[in-house]
Amino acid sequence: MKLTAPLERVLRVLIADPAAPHYGYDLMKAAKLPSGTLYPMLARLEQEGLAESEWEAQRPEPGGRPPRKYYRLTAEGVRVTRLELARADAGERRVLPGTPRPAHGSAR
Amino acid sequence: MSQVPRVQRIAELVIRGSCRRLPEDQRAERGREWSAELPAILSDTSVRPAFRRGLRALGYTAGIAVSTGRLRRAAAGAGNRSGGAVHARPASAAFRAARGLAIWLAIAGAFVGVLSAIPHPGAWPIAIGLALAVPFAAYCLADIARAESVRGLPKWAWAIICVIQVPGGGIAYLTFGRVGRADARPPGSVPRR
Repeated sequence: MKLTAPLERVLRVLIADPAAPHYGYDLMKAAKLPSGTLYPMLARLEQEGLAESEWEAQRPEPGGRPPRKYYRLTAEGVRVTRLELARADAGERRVLPGTPRPAHGSAR
Repeated sequence: MSQVPRVQRIAELVIRGSCRRLPEDQRAERGREWSAELPAILSDTSVRPAFRRGLRALGYTAGIAVSTGRLRRAAAGAGNRSGGAVHARPASAAFRAARGLAIWLAIAGAFVGVLSAIPHPGAWPIAIGLALAVPFAAYCLADIARAESVRGLPKWAWAIICVIQVPGGGIAYLTFGRVGRADARPPGSVPRR
């Protein structure tokens, strides 16, 4: 799977806190991606075992919102994402002036 | 419970319709997943005023229609490669050609009909020009929308180019911007290996 710019944005959101579950709209807003790009990407990440999804437990109160599906990275997904993002950071040629480069080797 | 906003009901209908393109075992679950996002969008108070939330929900719904098309093509491609069952029945090449021709004739007929009613000597060439230009631009836009990625420029830039310079922009896109599709051909056109 090639690391495209939209994919990189999604991975950066997911890796920020790998344990936190994200639902679709949450990811759309955080990664600034339209649904037509996000969902096929999530489906592919799931297919390749890099991400997993689970249904929110049914909420008991009547009139409450319907249960959501939450996505997060798998352990393998976290490993691959760290690797790919580190590679992307290292290979990034265009660094804005005044932007500190990400420190290599720092634990995230 | 009955106070469901109209936008949400329309969006749910469209989502349900889009999900019919998915393999049968995914339809219900995907439908529930995508419909469950609508209340989150419509109650997102960081987007104001309320009608912008409605627009956002409709944009989201359009994206779902795009998603189901991509997921179906991906499933068809994977099914073909592994020799497994293709879920959605693909239309034959002849059927798609006939359908395209029918759509083109309908558009051309509409332009010719409208413009031939205008008593102006230049009407016919304009009608024929539009009948050629509009479907070509539409084809290019549809191709950009369906493509996983395009070369050289972002998708929106190619879309603008295709619209503002009708034959030239589209030809430029098809020559330089289009990515050859090994995996993303229309379902059924990839021979089984």
